[in-house]
Amino acid sequence: MKGRGLFFYAGIYLLFLYAPIILLPIFAFNDSTIIAFPLSGFTTGWFAELATIDALHDAVRNSLFIAVLTAIFSTLLGLCAARAATRYRFPARGGLMTLIMTPLVLPEIIVAVSLLVVMVQLLDLRLSSWTVIAAHTLICTPFCIAILNSSFQNLDASLEEAAIDLGESRFSTFRLVTLPLVMPGIIAALLISFTISLDEFIIAFFLTGSEPTLPVYIWGLLRFPQRLPAVMALGTILVALSILLLIVAEYFRRRGVARAGKEDSGGFL
Amino acid sequence: MTDGARHPIVSLRDVEKFYGSYHALRGISMDIGEGEFFSLLGPSGCGKTTLLRTIAGFEEVSSGHVLLDGQNMDGVAPNRRPTNMVFQSYAIFPHLSVAENVGFGLRRSGLAGDEKARAVDEALAMVGLAGYGARSAQALSGGQRQRVALARALILKPRVLLLDEPLSALDKKMREQMQSELRRLQRHVGITFILVTHDQEEALIMSDRIAVMFEGEIAQLATPQELYRRPVSREVADFIGVMNFLPAEIRMGSGTAVEADIAGLGPAAIDSAQCPGALRPGRAEVGLRPETMTILPEGAPGEGHVAQGVVAEQSYYGDMTYYVVRLDGVDQTVTLSMKNRIGRAVLEPGMPARVSWDPRALLVFSG
Repeated sequence: MKGRGLFFYAGIYLLFLYAPIILLPIFAFNDSTIIAFPLSGFTTGWFAELATIDALHDAVRNSLFIAVLTAIFSTLLGLCAARAATRYRFPARGGLMTLIMTPLVLPEIIVAVSLLVVMVQLLDLRLSSWTVIAAHTLICTPFCIAILNSSFQNLDASLEEAAIDLGESRFSTFRLVTLPLVMPGIIAALLISFTISLDEFIIAFFLTGSEPTLPVYIWGLLRFPQRLPAVMALGTILVALSILLLIVAEYFRRRGVARAGKEDSGGFL
Repeated sequence: MTDGARHPIVSLRDVEKFYGSYHALRGISMDIGEGEFFSLLGPSGCGKTTLLRTIAGFEEVSSGHVLLDGQNMDGVAPNRRPTNMVFQSYAIFPHLSVAENVGFGLRRSGLAGDEKARAVDEALAMVGLAGYGARSAQALSGGQRQRVALARALILKPRVLLLDEPLSALDKKMREQMQSELRRLQRHVGITFILVTHDQEEALIMSDRIAVMFEGEIAQLATPQELYRRPVSREVADFIGVMNFLPAEIRMGSGTAVEADIAGLGPAAIDSAQCPGALRPGRAEVGLRPETMTILPEGAPGEGHVAQGVVAEQSYYGDMTYYVVRLDGVDQTVTLSMKNRIGRAVLEPGMPARVSWDPRALLVFSG
């Protein structure tokens, strides 16, 4: 049967997609320093070991700091751009939006190298968390624009006009009508950019100074085979957190669609 | 044409609007009286919504002036104008309850909480939604949203209420009900209503006066009866109701006598009051409303003006039957309507029909 063949294909596809990720928790709980089957026994020791590595804690703190600020900056920028693109007609609007969205498809290694050259050679900046934040904001903003664009497009322009007609100023209209209705989009944008920044490696690798982010730190750990199970444990935690964040983001996106009274036209999940 | 009996609340003076090179409004000048139910009627793209938004302040005039209650509104923002609007989509705030929607405009009124609550209750009762305050705005039907939008606009007691195609999203029954309700509401509150619609029937039913707009210009401003009986041009006559147009030859007789020789109907004496323009001899078109013609029953004596034809189409409406009759001797049909009465047979296509018509009902449009 034709249907069975397609099911088989879908099964293989999903296996390739998720088997490596499923291996993470399996080895994270495996009582052996060697990453190989057969499994030797159950332990939570690797998770306990994570708690003792100070350099890891610094990296986590660093990454969280960078991710939070990146999320805020890129969502703010995305908010302005999405609002302008959906509400106003201005010259070269299409071209400008294309240029702003381009970092979405630009190879990250190119972005990383060129930013390194600009920051170090031309601007003579010292590499720090702030240079990473700037670069992450650059790559996260297009995602935020894409999310917020759809929020603003789902928002009936006459809702804002109605508020103005009823006596509100442009600013209070934004606060009372626009903001509550696009809030789910804003939260989704914050979460997505936070997630992207948190596990971004290439740019962070080029632009961090003496304080590595978590992905850079993990990469560094790979040189020590005895640390490998701890990396697996760390990976397990990160996968769980990422899935949680995505679910929360999708929940807010759907609530936004429902709030605006529109048909759901599909989202990330 | 000004409604002299009323104090003008909205005055438009040579209002022009350009979008780039597109001329959306062309020299609109008129007065709309206090307490009037006024309609802007026209096909889509005629500029009626643009004109409404110009009065509301959402569109700036390119030249000319909008005066509200004698005050020049140049550069006055929508939130500072004594107008409120009911939007085509109703624009009900989906994140607020019905009561919060209705009370939205009272935020800046300085009223105390319980006064606000009372005003909201009153406004809801006025539109027949008493007790709906706590509901979510999303749980409302189309007709209820419409009422919430009305209550939300009327609670601020505007001088002018602007309605942008407010009934177009409703089904036929609901629309007819809302038409009479809106009319009743308008008489009750005494506020000037300006309604934008493309539905000529709706405009006729509801309005004190109607401005018919074509391509950014006002083609005719008149009461519903004037508009229906005395359209000033062929375009207006064609847009309002059903009108049969037949080619005719106009002949001037001695003195004031004028005769029209109408294709398929024959000659008839007319007078100059039946022609909106100057009556000129030569080729013209005459217009006849369907209800001014009847099909004579078989064997009935044919007095006056009678034309012979064959029923080509028949549409049965219950209370009325519409017939398309092909007139003998010419390639010309007329549409006419007959009230269905007991004892009056409904004719079928192919049956012969003698059409009685009244020359006094003729309108002459010179080419």
